[in-house]
Amino acid sequence: MKKLTLTGKRLCYFFFLLLLSSPAISIEHEIHRKFLVPPPPFSEGIFPCSQCHQGMPVNRTPRKLEMMHQDIVLNHMPGGWCFDCHNPDNRDTLRLANGKIVKFEESYNLCGQCHGTILREWKAGLHGKRTGMWNGEKQYLLCVHCHWPHDPAFKAITPMPPPVRPADIK
Amino acid sequence: MIQAIKNFFIALRQIAVGNKKYYLWVSFLSFLALLGASAYIGQLSRGLIITAMRDQVSWGMYISNFTFLVGVAAAAVLLVIPAYLYNFKPIKEIVLFGELLAITAITMCILFIIVDMGQPLRVWHILPVVGAMNFPASLLAWDVVVLNGYLIINSVIAFYVLYRLSIGKEYKMSVIGPLIILSIPWAVSIHTVTAFLYNGLSSRPFWNASILAPRFLASAFCSGPAIMLILFQIIRKLSVVEIDNKAIFKIAELIAYAMGINLFLLGAEIFKEFYSGSIHSAPIQYLYLGLHGHDKLVPWMWFATTMNISAFFLFLFPKTRENFTTLNMACLFVITGVYIEKGMGLVIPGFVPDTLGEIYEYTPTTQEILVTIGIWASGALLYTFLLKLAIPVYTGKLRFFSKTQLTAARDIMTKLVATIRAETPLDEVVKLMLSKRLTDMAVVDDSDKLIGIVSERDIISLEVGQASGKTAADLMAAPTGTVPESFHIQELGKVLASRTANLLFVVNENGQPVGTIEGSDILKSLEDIRRE
Amino acid sequence: MEEDGRRSGGIDRRAFLQGAALGLATLALPLGRADASFWESFFQKHFREMNDDEIKQVIDRLEKEYAQKFGKQIEIGADKPIPGVLYGYGLDLSRCIGCRRCVYGCVEENNQSLDPQIHWITVLRFKKGEKWVDLENSEKYYNPEKVPEEEYFYMPVQCQQCENPPCVRACPTQATWKDPDGIVVIDYNWCIGCRYCMAACPYGARRFNWGSPKRPVEKINPKTHYLGNRPRYRGVVEKCTFCIQRTRKDPGRYPACVEACPVGARKFGNLLDPNSEIRYAIEHKRVFRLKEDLNTYPKFYYFFAYGK
Repeated sequence: MKKLTLTGKRLCYFFFLLLLSSPAISIEHEIHRKFLVPPPPFSEGIFPCSQCHQGMPVNRTPRKLEMMHQDIVLNHMPGGWCFDCHNPDNRDTLRLANGKIVKFEESYNLCGQCHGTILREWKAGLHGKRTGMWNGEKQYLLCVHCHWPHDPAFKAITPMPPPVRPADIK
Repeated sequence: MIQAIKNFFIALRQIAVGNKKYYLWVSFLSFLALLGASAYIGQLSRGLIITAMRDQVSWGMYISNFTFLVGVAAAAVLLVIPAYLYNFKPIKEIVLFGELLAITAITMCILFIIVDMGQPLRVWHILPVVGAMNFPASLLAWDVVVLNGYLIINSVIAFYVLYRLSIGKEYKMSVIGPLIILSIPWAVSIHTVTAFLYNGLSSRPFWNASILAPRFLASAFCSGPAIMLILFQIIRKLSVVEIDNKAIFKIAELIAYAMGINLFLLGAEIFKEFYSGSIHSAPIQYLYLGLHGHDKLVPWMWFATTMNISAFFLFLFPKTRENFTTLNMACLFVITGVYIEKGMGLVIPGFVPDTLGEIYEYTPTTQEILVTIGIWASGALLYTFLLKLAIPVYTGKLRFFSKTQLTAARDIMTKLVATIRAETPLDEVVKLMLSKRLTDMAVVDDSDKLIGIVSERDIISLEVGQASGKTAADLMAAPTGTVPESFHIQELGKVLASRTANLLFVVNENGQPVGTIEGSDILKSLEDIRRE
Repeated sequence: MEEDGRRSGGIDRRAFLQGAALGLATLALPLGRADASFWESFFQKHFREMNDDEIKQVIDRLEKEYAQKFGKQIEIGADKPIPGVLYGYGLDLSRCIGCRRCVYGCVEENNQSLDPQIHWITVLRFKKGEKWVDLENSEKYYNPEKVPEEEYFYMPVQCQQCENPPCVRACPTQATWKDPDGIVVIDYNWCIGCRYCMAACPYGARRFNWGSPKRPVEKINPKTHYLGNRPRYRGVVEKCTFCIQRTRKDPGRYPACVEACPVGARKFGNLLDPNSEIRYAIEHKRVFRLKEDLNTYPKFYYFFAYGK
């Protein structure tokens, strides 16, 4: 919760650092507006992916993963495979269907390939959640903050307790 | 004015005077009022949380009682119209008690509003000029205006009439006539505005029915007069005030019509709600049938409806309304019936289901009931005191006189030193006049009653020598210039002014002369009073 | 014009009140409630009739009172409406999962009493396929293991900030009013607690402090607004103000409920700004307002972004 309410300035700085440290070679600029987002919700210690994948041969055959990532059961795009989204040549980035490379921070462009109307509404502030200033700098959540991309349906949560009934207010 | 205020306080002392039963009654009411006060102190220190009201049902027993009592107050108009507009004498004689009831009811209304407030100390915020009264937008602001106006109008009328009575004078219609005329539409307005207070809220379908104001008035004209009928009988029994049966039966007849209209309007409402059966019929379903298993008010409502219908028939037939057993039964039926129907039966369903569809069944807490009882006891106490103040004035037992009214003939007269008889010879009369220095002499009969007057002038008018051998009977004139001992100065002055002679004979209640008064005596005592 | 009238009326009244205050104060002295603060608070003027200096004085006094009461510095703002802003709110019913995060986010921000419990937001649950506009079939106390539930949908209700607010008309003392930025506010020092506004509100949005509001000191949000989340008194009415202490600033934060919503169903912005999120919703989605038949014109828009 606290992360979401960081001031705009600190966020810019953070974003700028990410940009510098990013090994991406070409960055997709098809959208002109920048969206301030918190860091993508990586599992702990998993990023950058190149830590492990650096120098590992790329196996493009769809198969059941046994060494790592066994927890990932793809419940999204039937028949899909890792490299439909992940860039086999640089695991720290993602790749669009047209071959363009995008960073994890801009993964919405990847999602928008299929979910175009939702991307449009996300940009308009209608889909997804914004925090920050209603008339100033806003912070957007990425699609993946709410939708785990390998199993994107929203997961049920425990509701907060119901109000006290009037007869029990003493 | 100062004298009038002094007199008021003297009259107020009447309150402390009474028999054992009176003291018992007053102590009983005071006990209940104190009980209510202590419950209210509890409410002040802990807040309205001690009541059963909550956000879902945000008005309860207090506002229900307020609504019922506005009706009672408005009902005084039912006496005012026949009394003043149609000059129906039997009712004109008792209209005062109706006005006092209105004063009491409005006072109770104000108390019920105060106890319902979360911040009673801020009550001045509602006033115009000093506060920020939201007039004319808020119907509650209207209610403040009309209720206080009605209280003032009725207080002025009642206290003015009592004041005039207390100084032994008739009230002047030129003074209160306009107020009385004003009080009629005003009485209708207090109830209409109170109905509109609910009626105007589109958020509450149960209240948002145009039939509400007419229903309010119709039921008010049943319950208010029913209370008066019972009070009149008590007043008649416990005091010397005479209340004509004709007045009672006339009022009973009016209740029958009002109840007829009330039942008709209720029927119309019930038909519309149940036949059309829209979602807005939920509150009336809650009232009469229960809603989703919530039915706490259902038995009460059917009880009230039964009471009202039975009362209607008892009032309708001359045979039952002119029999005091059935009449009183009918009155009690109407009072309970309307109290339920227009109290909790009106206020609570406005909130059930609430605007978000929730059903919270409100049942007043003990403290809430105690505060309510306390206010009713205070009201009863106030009415008792008002009657205690009004009845002696009304029956003529209590009168206030000015000094000129208090100085009577007997106080300023010159005591009679000698009388003569019809057969007394004139010679002797002349001797008496000269020795006692009298100008006129009273002639009395065997029982000392005044039968005539012989004056100096009559004797002088006789030629010399003619007097011998004559008696007083030959010269005496009829005793016209006489006044009773109790006449006060002003009255004496009036009598004297109408006569040529400057002397009045004062007679006691047996017709015996006891003294004389000259113009100079009156002048002297007037001067004395003035100098005081 | 009206403003001038109010001012001059205010001066007369002040003179009158000072006289009355002196009189009453001498009367009440033996009763032992003669501390200055009590009388200052008793004779405090209506918020809208105070000038900036007077407002400052009142706020100083209140801050002192709060500091004394809570042993904690509470900052009371009195930010005025921002010109050219009319606040609007959107709620996407197709996305609300009924988790009540907004309810408790609101309580955390707005200093509601925890005991007796006061919530400004009510979340209603409806069974899919059954009628729901009369709200009578709603369930407010639902408490399943997990939400959303397959056979239900949810609708949060709070103050709708009506353009034509029945509560404002009802209030006999003008203790509640609509500011130019569209927020309906309450002066907690002017409300007499008659609760007529609660009877008038079609949305069950107003809450009464039936008892003394209780909240642990450490849970008091010290950033407050005079007309918003400052600590309240027993016996006064309160309600949602679109987080006036946050939103009436430039730049101003989103209301707490917007930030608490885990599914982003809550939208907030300036209705006069064609690029705002709320305008996007109104123009691109079919919006409706609750109980439109009552002509209250809420600035709280419900919509369905998706056909779910």
